Amino acid sequence: MVGQRFLLGVSSLIVLGLAYTLLSNASRFIDVDQLPDPLRSTLRPDVLPPTQALVQAIVDLVRGPEKQPPPDEPAHMHNHVHTSDHVGVLLQQGVTLQTSLLITTGRVLFGMVVGAPLGILIGLLIGLSRRVDDYIHPIYVLVRSIPPLALITYIMLWLGHTEAHRLIPIVYAVATTMVIPTYHGVRDLASTYLVAARSLGARGWLLLRRVLLPAAGPAVLSGLRYALAIAWMTAVGSEMLMADNGMGNLIVGGGMWASRFQTRSDPAVVMVGILGLAAAGWLMDSGARLLTVRLTRWAR
Amino acid sequence: MSLVQRNRIKRALLSLGAIAVVYGIAAEIGRWVLPHRIWMDVHYIDNVELLPTYQSLAEELAFLIQSWILPSSILVSTGRILAGFLLGSVAGIVVGLATGRAARLEYVADPWTTLLRFTPALALLPLYVIWFGYGEASKILLIATSVAVVAMLGAHQAVRGVPQVYLDAARALGASPRLIFRKIVLPAAFPQIFASLRVALALAWVTIVVAELIDAKMPSLGYLLALAGAYPRVPQMLIGLATIGTLVFLSDMLALSLHAKVTRWMRRTG
Repeated sequence: MVGQRFLLGVSSLIVLGLAYTLLSNASRFIDVDQLPDPLRSTLRPDVLPPTQALVQAIVDLVRGPEKQPPPDEPAHMHNHVHTSDHVGVLLQQGVTLQTSLLITTGRVLFGMVVGAPLGILIGLLIGLSRRVDDYIHPIYVLVRSIPPLALITYIMLWLGHTEAHRLIPIVYAVATTMVIPTYHGVRDLASTYLVAARSLGARGWLLLRRVLLPAAGPAVLSGLRYALAIAWMTAVGSEMLMADNGMGNLIVGGGMWASRFQTRSDPAVVMVGILGLAAAGWLMDSGARLLTVRLTRWAR
Repeated sequence: MSLVQRNRIKRALLSLGAIAVVYGIAAEIGRWVLPHRIWMDVHYIDNVELLPTYQSLAEELAFLIQSWILPSSILVSTGRILAGFLLGSVAGIVVGLATGRAARLEYVADPWTTLLRFTPALALLPLYVIWFGYGEASKILLIATSVAVVAMLGAHQAVRGVPQVYLDAARALGASPRLIFRKIVLPAAFPQIFASLRVALALAWVTIVVAELIDAKMPSLGYLLALAGAYPRVPQMLIGLATIGTLVFLSDMLALSLHAKVTRWMRRTG
């Protein structure tokens, strides 16, 4: 069974990869201009980047910029080279794939570390007490409805052009996402245990550690995995809008938003960026899944 | 209306009212205390109201409504959300149902769904601009993609969650695969699919804030926000935020009441 799964998965990767390579290289074998329109405008190397261009982009972006300018040219020439291509602009800024990935991962982790406890705390509070729930829940619903990325410019006005307006939306997104699973974990799953434990006299720390956390644990952990995905999305979005480093910046290729979309970005770089993001997201999610399995072993 | 419900509504109004009053007081104090001139990296911005008073918010709102900017933006953005949501949810549910039912198909699709799942939809925006141009298509398709991923996962897991006993029993009684799918898999998977659509709807609103920054033209909420950030014009910014928040809230309420209505048959006691 596992063998078949692996085999079919790998062969589907290979087949579609080959098909893409053929399609993206079509302009070499046939005269694309004679094809009918949707094909003619699609089968171009600047629309569908050939596989070798993707590999080249990966190699360039991983290797990073050349360290030394050639000695026979004055240094200022290098500061004002107008490179029009996406990779060139990135390399000029000293951007590499691995540093961008690291920076974005760092932001995601910061968002998780700060946002998750915050969200879990709020979820516990409103899940535990009906009274607090009645007062806080309407406010939470209001706050949750605002998309985090829409907050960036407002945060910038308050705190200036700093790291804060990239991190706060991520923290905000993670926290608002974590409230609901915690709330339902406490309210739906734990209420019977809670009543029993309370009537037996458990209170405070004992109640939290021995009853609440184990009972709400699985729901909270699966919420964490979902929050991780949200954090990646928010991080990349805020980097695309307002950041000069990280994967979002790599994808749109430097500069500020308005100018970013006037220069066409290179699809090869965008695809490489997406592959990198997907790989990093997958790795983190697998880690979270393993952790979940380990931590909730008692539950099955 | 029961006493508990009345109590809940009273408390909700109380806390929301308290927030509103606190904001009002903070804004009145802020008018004197907060700086009106902000240093932004390379230049000063003048006449900034970091916490606009209710009066300036009301003036701005009146202007935005009278000039028909806000209503038309709401219509245009909601239209895009609806189009993208319909497209994405149909595509996602079909794929999710298929991979949930057919194991071989799942194995073949697995690498690609994994790739799609961990791709932040917003990162696709530059690619969509190249592929589908600056027009309406790339915005709607971006929303559709982010919706489709969530709907696909939801449908897949929902189909997988159908108890094997039901399927075995139906097969033992001689039901054809088609009948099993229509009469057992779909109804049993429906609530979870609907729940994932509710999540996807909220995600669609997140996506549009960024999607509407390409080929930004005026009647659109995303551009309204971006413009308000560029001036910067705080009352407009906050009204834009509140408008999107309200729309997210309303669409969520709509989905929730629809969910309650269509799954009434499976309501259990307790």
